[in-house]
Amino acid sequence: MIKHSNMKLIVLACGVMASTNLMAKDKYTVADPYESFNRKMYDFNESVDHYVASPIANGYKAVTPDFLQTGVFNFFNNLKNFNVVINDVLQAKFSQSASDMGRLTMNTTAGLGGFFDVAKHVGLEQNDEDFDQTLAVWGIPKGSYLVLPLLGPMTTRSAPASAFDAATNPASYVSIPANYISAPVQFMSALNARANAEGALKFINEAAMDKYVFTRESFLQWRKNLESDGKVNMDDDLMADNIDDTSLTQNWRDYGKQFENTARSFSGVARQFDQTAHTYELANHKIAQVHQLRTK
Amino acid sequence: MRLKRLAILTLSLSSLSATSAFSQEESATAWQIIDKFQTELIHVMKDGKKLGYAGRYEKLEPAVLNSHDLLKIARIVVGKEGEKLTEEQQKKLADVFTRISVASYAHNFKDFSGEEFIIDSEEETKNGGVVIHSHLTIPDDKPVKFDYMLKEKGASWRIINIIANGVSDLALKRSEYTAILQRDGFDALISQINEKIDNYAKQ
Repeated sequence: MIKHSNMKLIVLACGVMASTNLMAKDKYTVADPYESFNRKMYDFNESVDHYVASPIANGYKAVTPDFLQTGVFNFFNNLKNFNVVINDVLQAKFSQSASDMGRLTMNTTAGLGGFFDVAKHVGLEQNDEDFDQTLAVWGIPKGSYLVLPLLGPMTTRSAPASAFDAATNPASYVSIPANYISAPVQFMSALNARANAEGALKFINEAAMDKYVFTRESFLQWRKNLESDGKVNMDDDLMADNIDDTSLTQNWRDYGKQFENTARSFSGVARQFDQTAHTYELANHKIAQVHQLRTK
Repeated sequence: MRLKRLAILTLSLSSLSATSAFSQEESATAWQIIDKFQTELIHVMKDGKKLGYAGRYEKLEPAVLNSHDLLKIARIVVGKEGEKLTEEQQKKLADVFTRISVASYAHNFKDFSGEEFIIDSEEETKNGGVVIHSHLTIPDDKPVKFDYMLKEKGASWRIINIIANGVSDLALKRSEYTAILQRDGFDALISQINEKIDNYAKQ
C-alpha cells in the first residue's frame, strides 16, 4: 500500500511547479501568477531528477543495508531538531519545545549522535516545525507558489524562511572546519532526502494526470496542514458550496435518478430473495412439524 | 454448460450480496458507513495478492458505491466546467469517474503488513455534514490521518471528500480536472482518466 505520509517528503524533496490565469477564475483553485516560469523549473528539476538524482539514489539504496539507510536518515533528522526547538519557542509552544529538546538530547547521547532514534521508544514523537510555519503563526501571508531550480516547490514566504532554517541546522556548518568534510556531508544529506522521497515520487507518477498541478496542490495543502497543526477545516467551502442537489443541472439529476433506480432494483431483487428464503424456512418448519407428529 | 450456470449463479449471488449491503446501509450512520468501508478495505488488503487486481476491483466496487457519493464528487471536481458538458459527456464522465475511483483503491490497497484503521471521533460541520476522524496505523511507520467528510443522502450518509494527512482528495482532483478541461478539453480529460485506469490494471 502507498504510504501517504511519504508523499509529503516526495513532494517537498522533488521540486515541482504550477498553474494559471485561467484557473484564477475559479475561486477554489490556487492563483499561480508565476505558472509559466514555475512549469519550466518543474520540467528542469524533473530532468535533473531523472538523469542525475534518481540513478544515484537508486544506487545508494541498492548498495546500502537498510539499517544504515535508517541510521543516516535518523542522523540528519536529529540535526534538524535544533531548528525544530528554536521554532517551537518562536511559536510559543513551550511544552512542545521541552519535549523536542528532550528528544534531541536523548538521541544525540544515548542514540549515538542521532544514528538511533531511541526517543521514539520512550514516547517522544518527532514534531515538524520550521521558520515558514513560524512566519505563518506571526500572521505573514504565504505569498505565491514558486518553484526554484534544484530547490523545488516553495512559496514567496518560505523561500527566505528556508535560509533561516539552513542557518539553524548544524549540518550547514560542517564546511567551516574543513571543506573536504563538508562536501560529502552535504551530498549525503541531499542523497538521504532523495532516497526517502522515492515512494512519494512514484505515487505522483501513478496518480497524477497533471503532475505540476498535482504537486502544487499537494504541497500547498500539506504546508497549510502543518501551519494548522493538523486541524481539519470543518467548514469546507468546496464541499458545502457545491453540495446541494439544486445546484446540479437537469442532466446530472436525471443520471443520478437512473443510478438510484438501478440500486433500488437491486434492493427489490434482494427483497425477493429474502422472501423466497423465508418461504423455504416456513416449508422446512412445516416438514419438521409433520415429521415430529409422525414420530410421536 | 455447468461452468456457465456456475458463472451465472456466482454473478447473481454477488449482485445480491451487493444489494443486501446497499439496503442495509440505507439507514446507516456516518460512523457505520466509514467503519464498514474501512473493514472491507482491510479484508481486501489481507487477500490482496490472492485476489489480484481484478479480484480486488470486484470486491471493492460495491464497497465504494455504497459508501461514496461518486456522482456528486464527479460534479464537484469539474466545477462550473461541468455545466458546459452535454448529457452524453456527463454520463461518460460519471462512468469513467466511477471506474477510476474503484481502480485507484484496487491498485493502492493491494497488500497487508499489519495495518489497522482506527476511528477516533466524529464532528458535525456547520453545513450539515459530518467529519469522521480516523487514522491508519502502519507497523514501523508514522500513522496516516484519514478525515472523511460525509453528507446525508436519504436515510444514510455518503463520503464526499477524504483528507489524507491534510491533503484533500476533492481539492486535488478539482484542480487537476478543471485545469485539463480548460486547457485540453473534455475528450483529453476522458482519455487521460482511461489511461490511468489501464495503468492501474497493468501494475
